[in-house]
Amino acid sequence: MTPPRIIVITGTSRGIGLGLAEHHLGRGDFVCGCSRAASPLRHDRYSHYTLDVADEPAVVAMVRSVVRTHGRIDGLLNNAGIASMNAALLSPAATAQAIFATNFHGTFLFSREIAKAMVRQKSGRIVNFTTVATPLRLEGESLYAASKAAVESFTRVLARELGPAGVTVNAVGPTPIPTDLIKSVPKAKMEALLARQAIARFGAVADVANVVEFFLAPASDFITGQIVYLGGVSG
Amino acid sequence: MSGNEKTLPENVRQLVLQTLPTGFTGEAIFGAAGGLDSLGLVNFLADLEYRIAEVFGREIVLASERAMSRSQSPFRDVAALTDYIVELLHE
Repeated sequence: MTPPRIIVITGTSRGIGLGLAEHHLGRGDFVCGCSRAASPLRHDRYSHYTLDVADEPAVVAMVRSVVRTHGRIDGLLNNAGIASMNAALLSPAATAQAIFATNFHGTFLFSREIAKAMVRQKSGRIVNFTTVATPLRLEGESLYAASKAAVESFTRVLARELGPAGVTVNAVGPTPIPTDLIKSVPKAKMEALLARQAIARFGAVADVANVVEFFLAPASDFITGQIVYLGGVSG
Repeated sequence: MSGNEKTLPENVRQLVLQTLPTGFTGEAIFGAAGGLDSLGLVNFLADLEYRIAEVFGREIVLASERAMSRSQSPFRDVAALTDYIVELLHE
């Protein structure tokens, strides 16, 4: 019998991260989640860590706690992310720092620390999160798109560094999904964005979970450094 | 922290030597004369961080800004790495 997978998911207090945590718990996995806020999830196979993903000592402590508890980590889903809709010329520097801290530095820190465990166990899957806003070059999302472009580049390079160690690194790029992240985006803007997709509808957590499961599958051990966008958007 | 202050460097040195890959010989770890390649160094440092946490109860990151900004890498040989870890444990 295959032992339950140990999956770490960042940003599990709401939105896609919460949905993915519920998905993996439903599949029998152990899920270790984190967010700045408490999680509404209560489950005997769920552990929550309250932290900021850009806080290096907190990330190191969490990852080592997970490894001590479970002995290994099978998958990392670097989901935590923030967005800010604003013209570049109207964006404060603090907004740029905050977006890069969560979206890129958080992804980097969790990848670095969990990859150390995965390299030791000679297997593991890292799934990063990008967005269709990057290939679509969406006006008003320059900082968000740029932070995710950094995630994409990091994904491709890390895949090469960790490939010899049996660890794959890929990224999924969701379309807009009705979550808090996009609640402030005007309706007309959102409809125009959906019209640029090959399949013009909102995404769902299940669409993201499908790609994540593909990357996590044992048979996907020859797939790394790939970016998969949903909705028919191309890079 | 295990051991007293006099024996800490020797305890750390032993831990470094015990964590080096089986069959590793010599003092040079990484660099022109080093016995480990990049992936070997990554494996070794990851192992060492976990061993330090087990033995000394401290969660330290060896590949820190301090390590990378030095003119001579603290990962070059056993003696330099021992000194560097002792320094981190004293903080």
